[in-house]
Amino acid sequence: MDAVVRYGRRLLPMVLALAVSALLLAYAPAKSLGAPWLLGLLGALALAWVAWQPATTERDNLLPALAVVLSALGLTLVARLSPDLARKQMLWLVVSLVLAIAAGPFFTHFRRFAATKYLWVVASLVLFALLLIFGQQVNGARLWIKLGPVQYEPVELIKLFIVFFLAAYLAETADVIAAARPWSVRANLKYLGPLFIGWGASMAILVLQRDLGMAALLLSTFAALLYVATRRLDIVIAGIAVFALAAFWAMHHFPYVQTRVAVWTDPFSDPLGAGYQSSQAYYALAAGGAFGTGFGLGHPTFIPDVATDYIYAAFSEEFGLIGAFVLIGLFAVLVKRLLAVGSDQPDLYAKLLGAGLAATLGFQVFIIIGGVIGLFPLTGITLPFLSYGGSSLVANFLLVALMWAMSARVCVPTRSPSSSSR
Amino acid sequence: MTNRAISRLGTLFALLFLILAGRQTWVMLVAGPSIAAKPYNPRHALLDARRGRILASDGTVLAQTVDGVREYPLGPSLAQTVGYVSTRYGESGIEDAYDRALTPPDTTGDPLAQLDEIVAALRGKRSDAAGADVVTTIVPAIQRTLYTELARHARAAGVALDPRTGAVLAIASVPSFDPNAFDREFPKLQSDPQSPLIDRATDGLYPPGSTFKIFTAGSALESGTVTMHTRFQDPGYVRIGNFTLHDNEGEATGNQDITGAFALSSNVDFAHITLAMGTATFYAYLAKWGIGAPLDFQLPAASGRFPPQDSIVPGELAQMGFGQGALLMSPLQMALIAATVANGGTMPRPYIVRQIVRGGVPASVTPTGSLASPISADTAADVKKMMLAVVQRGTGTAAQIPGVAVAGKTGTATNPHGAAHAWFVCFAPADHPRVVVAVVVENAGYGGTVAAPIARDVLRTALSVVKD
Repeated sequence: MDAVVRYGRRLLPMVLALAVSALLLAYAPAKSLGAPWLLGLLGALALAWVAWQPATTERDNLLPALAVVLSALGLTLVARLSPDLARKQMLWLVVSLVLAIAAGPFFTHFRRFAATKYLWVVASLVLFALLLIFGQQVNGARLWIKLGPVQYEPVELIKLFIVFFLAAYLAETADVIAAARPWSVRANLKYLGPLFIGWGASMAILVLQRDLGMAALLLSTFAALLYVATRRLDIVIAGIAVFALAAFWAMHHFPYVQTRVAVWTDPFSDPLGAGYQSSQAYYALAAGGAFGTGFGLGHPTFIPDVATDYIYAAFSEEFGLIGAFVLIGLFAVLVKRLLAVGSDQPDLYAKLLGAGLAATLGFQVFIIIGGVIGLFPLTGITLPFLSYGGSSLVANFLLVALMWAMSARVCVPTRSPSSSSR
Repeated sequence: MTNRAISRLGTLFALLFLILAGRQTWVMLVAGPSIAAKPYNPRHALLDARRGRILASDGTVLAQTVDGVREYPLGPSLAQTVGYVSTRYGESGIEDAYDRALTPPDTTGDPLAQLDEIVAALRGKRSDAAGADVVTTIVPAIQRTLYTELARHARAAGVALDPRTGAVLAIASVPSFDPNAFDREFPKLQSDPQSPLIDRATDGLYPPGSTFKIFTAGSALESGTVTMHTRFQDPGYVRIGNFTLHDNEGEATGNQDITGAFALSSNVDFAHITLAMGTATFYAYLAKWGIGAPLDFQLPAASGRFPPQDSIVPGELAQMGFGQGALLMSPLQMALIAATVANGGTMPRPYIVRQIVRGGVPASVTPTGSLASPISADTAADVKKMMLAVVQRGTGTAAQIPGVAVAGKTGTATNPHGAAHAWFVCFAPADHPRVVVAVVVENAGYGGTVAAPIARDVLRTALSVVKD
């Protein structure tokens, strides 16, 4: 009986999440979601995901539940914006959930990732190489590998691999780096060197790919990890300064970056040309006001690429500032719980892995939302779980699945009186 | 130690997310209204389904929304004046100037009205609140004649007014465009060197050529510089300093009174008249006729342009007297000058929107008024006599209509862009004028042969429609 109650308690967050998801999806336009059985399959997969966890441990079951609610909201928005993309997004959700379930057993042994830390660097480089060779250029950035009908954006996976590497490497060297005096060049170079190779290579190639959003994301994740591992603010600041210089350089050498900056500073000076997308996003935000126009009653489809880069503007128009606060709040809860998973780890490697993954998700949310609302120039990265895009969904579901596995704490099952009588 | 760093990272994220919330609050609430009001916001045009209609004086539809699509039944004929409303390219013409009236009432910030709309939307209906209809003074028959005649030429413009009220009966600009295909055509239209988007009738500034002698003759008589009996000698040229002016429309006209000089369009005689007036008087009369001052019209309209008074040398002044030099006028303003003569010396205030009808009830009616009274009724009568002579025996005989006394003035405006611009400005019937017409055909040659026949046809159509 107790086992049933405990099992029910584990499933409760996901059951609630599915209920909310069903409510959200009920608002999607008729027929935009394709076959109903596919929705049923998605629900069953989500439930199976959390149902299949070791009985002897206690996990943070809010993590998969949040991922499911956010992706259901994303699917609803995509369905409202573009039914075609929604049907693809559903298939990607199936893929994401299946991968999350399949990866479960591997993720329970996440500490083994540390042993293969250079493998992650190699894997990243291979993905980059593939991208350089087979990449498709979209909007000035080379981001996609096309395999038949499937487009894949490898940087989303690379962002996870880099964290795997950095966490493992820093766990070994953190003490020495932390102890090294800032002015001792030799002590610093000795241990920071490999880090900068791992980081710098990604950076350089990202600049070559012209994907400044991902570059900024990787850099901020790197800086956060370095800080958590060593508490050396000087290196962190130096890293950010180097990036700022690189960004400044990019601004002067990549016309498309130049345009983005110009659009950011004044989107309304060229409202029909370069500033079209950005100014349309501003109109959408302005139309939203405090309470939004109401779902389906706004006009966010004026924004080009609204289902990917600008889904947050579409959401804000129809759900208003209140809805935006709720969404930012949901992401804040998710990031906080992820960071807590990191803190709760017994060893430095796992702490860094958790903090790094939490940071990469948090920064991704910050960078894309900040870009959409004009805090800084827009860089085309996805809003985790909400934007249309298979690569992002897969990567973020894997991220949450891994963190969920990491959140496992051994619990001693309370025995019922009958069984303890002996 | 590490956990403290992680908790600081948590604080950093709390801070970053708060910054996001702050920035978003600013964008959506503080800057929101001014962003929403920007002209290229496609949401302005979206209320289209309930957007009001634009109607001609007889109720003919000039613009209406059918199944969410804005339709312009007259097509290119009135394109620049009626304008367009595009989610992508904004608005122009009456669609722009009367956007507020045409747009259904904005329910933002009115929860009850919003609730009403939501209920209506749920029932699959639009709420009843629709935009007002804008009723213009355009008379479709006159409009059709004017546009058809002008469209025979590459670049031309014309306007027909009722001189008694200032009502615009017809107005057209060529080349034009099809507002029904606007979104598709815009990039091409925008880069077209012929500038089809510009309303040449209101915004086209041309040297008015000899049509401007209406102004000069009226002002010279009114100021007492000349009388109807003053005689002039025109050998075909005049020397002003080291500068020689030639007649271009007529030949050397010999010995004439002012009526003869006007009818045969002697530039030499008008150079003498203008020099006799002097710069100060000439400029005083430019001001009295409202030339150069912003033109009071319901749509954007350019006013005449000329050099500042202190920079004028006699040679330039003499040229301005017969509408050359640096002087530029729009067809609409030339029509107003003729209307002043037709109207006994008072310039009517031009208008094109007669009234706004909200829910079938006239909500606002444009009052008629006058802009200026630069000349007396007697002077106006004298100028009218000269204009009659132009059509009876002068350069504008092509504008004669059997049984109707037509008063007019030709203009052949030399310009740096090629052949002269052909002008004709006229009104009829002379004793009780009901219609004024001004026409310019760019780079087409003589006003009397190119522009006068167009004006005559428009006048004929208009006189059959516009009654006393």
